[in-house]
Amino acid sequence: MTPPDPRLPSADEPLDAADFGLLDDIRGLFEAADPMPPDLPERIRFFIALRDLEIEMARLADEEQLAVAARGPEQSRTITFDSESLTIMIRIDANKDGTVRVDGWLAPQQRREIEMKTSADSLTVTSDEQGRFAFPRVPRGTAQFVVRPAEPGPGGAGRSVVTPALIL
Amino acid sequence: MTVDDRKAATVEETRPDRSARLAGLIRAARQGDEEALGQIVTELSPLLWQVVRAAGLDSRDAEDVLQTVWLRLVAHLDDIHDSGALTGWLVTTAKRESWRVRAVGRRQLPADQELFAELPDTGPGSEEQVIVDEERRALWAAIGRLSKRCQDLLRILAFTPRPDYTAVAAALGMRIGSIGPTRGRCLTKLRALLAEDAAGGAQ
Repeated sequence: MTPPDPRLPSADEPLDAADFGLLDDIRGLFEAADPMPPDLPERIRFFIALRDLEIEMARLADEEQLAVAARGPEQSRTITFDSESLTIMIRIDANKDGTVRVDGWLAPQQRREIEMKTSADSLTVTSDEQGRFAFPRVPRGTAQFVVRPAEPGPGGAGRSVVTPALIL
Repeated sequence: MTVDDRKAATVEETRPDRSARLAGLIRAARQGDEEALGQIVTELSPLLWQVVRAAGLDSRDAEDVLQTVWLRLVAHLDDIHDSGALTGWLVTTAKRESWRVRAVGRRQLPADQELFAELPDTGPGSEEQVIVDEERRALWAAIGRLSKRCQDLLRILAFTPRPDYTAVAAALGMRIGSIGPTRGRCLTKLRALLAEDAAGGAQ
C-alpha cells in the first residue's frame, strides 16, 4: 500500500478543468458503449403529441421480414399491432421512386378512418367494409397510425387506437 | 499530458445563455407549445437514457421509462421554472421509475464488468488515434474498477449540461460546496486510479 500522493486532488475541492475534461471523455465512451437509439426523441415527441386524445394504445405483436423474390432484393415487412378492441396488420413495400406503400387490414373487419402521422405531415384514409386500407406512396421515416373512433361526434362510441411509432 | 489538454476547446454554451433559453422553452411548453416541449425532449433524452440504462434496464424497458418520464413532466410543467429544476426533476423521476420497473420485473443487473472489458469503438481514427486510444483504454479500465455507484454517478454527470451540475449533483446525493458541486469521492478515486496507472506505465 503506497501512501496517498500529495499531488492528487482532494475530494472537497470544486470541480476543475481536469475533472470537466474527464467527464467529457467519459461521455464519449458511454455514447459509444451504450448509445441511445437516435430516433428515440422523435418517437417520444410523437407520443407526447397524442397525449390529449382518449386513446387505446396498440402494442407491437409481431414483425416479419419477407424477401419478395419477384421484386429482387427489396423486402416486404409485415407488422401486427394488437390493442384491446382491434388488431391492425400492415404490410410495407418499397416503391421504385424511394417512397413506400403501406397496405393495412383491421380485424374485426370494419370501416374506420385511419390517420398516418409522419414527420412531415399526416395522411388520412378510410378502410373499406372488409377493413382494408392503403397508403400508396408515403415518404420513408417515422410513422405512427391512429385509427379514429368508430362513431365520431357527440355520444360516439369507441376510442382512437394508436400504434407505437415505427420506422418505414 | 492529460486527455483534456489535447482536446480542442469546444464552444460551450454559457450558463446564462442556456438557462435563459431553457427557461423560455419551459414557459412556452407550459402554454402548450409542442415544438418547445419537443426541443426539451431532444436535448435531455440522451442524459435520461444513461440514467435508465445505468439502473439496469434493457433497451425496451428503457424506452418505455423515458416515455413515461416525459409524459409525467407534461403534467408537472407548472411546478418547474428553471433548467436546473427541470434537469434535476427528470433525473430523479427517471431513477425512481427505473427502480419501479426493475422491481416489477425482478430483472437481473447487467454484467457491468463485461461492459468494461472492451474499449468502445468510436469510429475512424486520426493520426493521434493510437495515443488517444491508449488513454481512452486506461480511462475505460479505470471506470471499470470503480464501485457501481461511482460508475453510475460519473456516467450520469458526464451527460449533464454544465449549468445543471449543481441540481443534478444534488439529485444524485453528491456534496455541494459554496460554489457548486465538489469533486467528490468518485472523481477523486478515478483520478487516483489514472495517476496510479500512468506511474505504473512509466516504470
